[in-house]
Amino acid sequence: MGKVIAISGKGGVGKTLISTLLVRWLTENNIKNILAIDADPDSNLAESLDTEYDKSIGDIREELSCKSLPPGVERKKYLEGKIFEITVETDKFDLLVMGRPEGPGCYCAVNHMLRSIIDSTTKAYEYTIVDTEAGLEHLSRRTTENVDVMLIVTDTSRKGFKTAARIKGLLQEMNIKANKIFLVLNRIKEEDKEIIKEEAKLTGLDVAMEIFEDPLVRKYDLEGIPLIKLPRDSETYKAIENAMESAEWM
Amino acid sequence: MEIDIKKLPVDIGVVYEGERIRGPDTFVELGGPKVEFKAELTQVVDEKDVVDGKITVIGKDIPQFTCGEKVPFGILLEVYGEKIEKDLEGVIERRVHDFLNYVQGFMHLNQRYDIWCRVSNEAKEKGLTFEDIGKALIWLFKEELPFIEKMQITFMTDEEKVKEHRETALGLYEKRDARIRGMKDEEVEEFYGCSLCQGFAPNHLCIISPQRISLCGSISWLDARAAAKVDPDGPNFAVPHGEVLDEKNGEYAGVNEAVKEYTTGANERIYMYSMFDYPHTSCGCFEAIAFYIPEVDGIGIVDRNFQEEAVNGLKFSSMATQSGGGEQMEGFLGMGIEWMHSPKFFSADGGWDRIVWMPSHLKNRMSDAIPKEIIDKIPSEDDTSSLNELKDFLKEKNHPITQRWKSVVTDELKEKVTEYIQEKNGEIYPDQASADLGLSEDELMNVIDVLQKDGTLG
Ligand code: SF4
Repeated sequence: MGKVIAISGKGGVGKTLISTLLVRWLTENNIKNILAIDADPDSNLAESLDTEYDKSIGDIREELSCKSLPPGVERKKYLEGKIFEITVETDKFDLLVMGRPEGPGCYCAVNHMLRSIIDSTTKAYEYTIVDTEAGLEHLSRRTTENVDVMLIVTDTSRKGFKTAARIKGLLQEMNIKANKIFLVLNRIKEEDKEIIKEEAKLTGLDVAMEIFEDPLVRKYDLEGIPLIKLPRDSETYKAIENAMESAEWM
Repeated sequence: MEIDIKKLPVDIGVVYEGERIRGPDTFVELGGPKVEFKAELTQVVDEKDVVDGKITVIGKDIPQFTCGEKVPFGILLEVYGEKIEKDLEGVIERRVHDFLNYVQGFMHLNQRYDIWCRVSNEAKEKGLTFEDIGKALIWLFKEELPFIEKMQITFMTDEEKVKEHRETALGLYEKRDARIRGMKDEEVEEFYGCSLCQGFAPNHLCIISPQRISLCGSISWLDARAAAKVDPDGPNFAVPHGEVLDEKNGEYAGVNEAVKEYTTGANERIYMYSMFDYPHTSCGCFEAIAFYIPEVDGIGIVDRNFQEEAVNGLKFSSMATQSGGGEQMEGFLGMGIEWMHSPKFFSADGGWDRIVWMPSHLKNRMSDAIPKEIIDKIPSEDDTSSLNELKDFLKEKNHPITQRWKSVVTDELKEKVTEYIQEKNGEIYPDQASADLGLSEDELMNVIDVLQKDGTLG
């Protein structure tokens, strides 16, 4: 119960694609209790999941922190209700958007409460998929410190691998407990396959998925079609399906 | 009354506490943001007014709804116990949330007039009714709070009835809040500490008392107490305040001990109600900062949302950097804005009579906290932009701070001025005289004022 899978990586390497298709794969495998968290202010998981949201935590943080409540009302319970209120509920999964990070105000107390609320919320779902930025700020400060699996996505660029290696270090630095950490290789070109494997080895991480360059994904991106709608028999979705079906870490 | 919870159609237990009933799995939603009328209320009543174990349902019961409905919802708990006082109503009511969540297939969120519940399709299929939920609640309450001797519960889904119930409840919440607001530091045994900001201000410890909210404004004494209870190893913990060492300044033996312990000796004593001598430390994330203005012997307050320079020529951000970090800084004090409602607000330094500047939007927001007699005498950025103007304004409005200026006329000063006047045979020119005496004209006039009043000068 309550498995948390976080997906991280340099911006633009396909984190949101992986997060989206993981959610999709779970829904197709009869998992009913799924929470998707968009913890990357620069991505748009909602769009990619073909849903809309009204408000993010960032939008209501000020109110959560500063609103004067009657003295007999507990702030944490109030927060809990508000978070529930902005959680998007679709037929197949729920979505929570963290939104922009806080402004100059003080949010230690609120962030602390948020983290404990989200931590216990994730326990109520069978799976929580967190799309998080490379800096892991959002994850550690406002979401959760405990993830079961961390998938670090990289494309075949040097920078992608560098960032992947840095994220591995950050996990320790930021005190995030990740039981398992894997690399996900995205946008591999057939001819580079061997070199990429070498690069991957250097990071010291096992590879959980290998996804080849897929013109269809490019097309969806360009035309703004939600990635969750990728056909079942698309190369990318099949790659994820294969990886997940044989994944021991699930 | 005997209740056998094993006979209920669903399971009851702490394992269901975190259970989440998602929209698509919901049979009926009781209360919640889409419904106008909802409220839960606990009342302590006389023994004769309660029939132990009685459960009443006014309006439709769960099985009678159609799937997907969102309906008004009221809960009324009436309890009796020889040892139960009115004050406990809030404490008992707080547990409704916990206990209702122990019911499999039932979810409860929020509090008071905001409650939001869901019954799952599965629970409905099993035949769950309000009677069952009521039984579970009464059983749980008596298990966990043995001082409850009798309890009866009314569930309401009839709109008119819920509306009425909500009205009554609103009045009673207000009374309850007024009681909490009236709670005094002296009346409780324990204050609470918060060490959450030590990450960036290692020597900072917030001491939160009923009459002094945390610096960030997010944690009241009740919040801290609740947090300390559910997470004893967390950042909030009880601080038994111990002996009162200085009633006026708010110095407590137990608080000093906690401060010493949690700042590894960097700070040793603090005053809860003053910004002088041993002020509470400031972490850096306070809602507002109070600053001493020596020129007028008063205190100005500026909050985080005011971007311009305050009357002392400094911005919030630069004062925050200077005074934050957990150092004890006389003359600067980070504070939660709600503290202004407290009778202990700078009580050692003169309270509101000492406040001489605030940004206008803060004045508006807190207008109910500021005593009527003084609100127009406190200037904002609209009235003054320099210390000179400030002084004139305060004098013109006869702000109580001007009394202090008079009282600081020392005997020495009086003597000096009297001598000077005698020297000049009573013929003095203010500008010349103040230059000769090394005083400002205002100060000189003050002294002369005093001398005239006490009869030294005719
Ligand atoms: S400012 Fe708030 S979060 Fe920081 S220590 Fe004080 S109570 Fe805790």
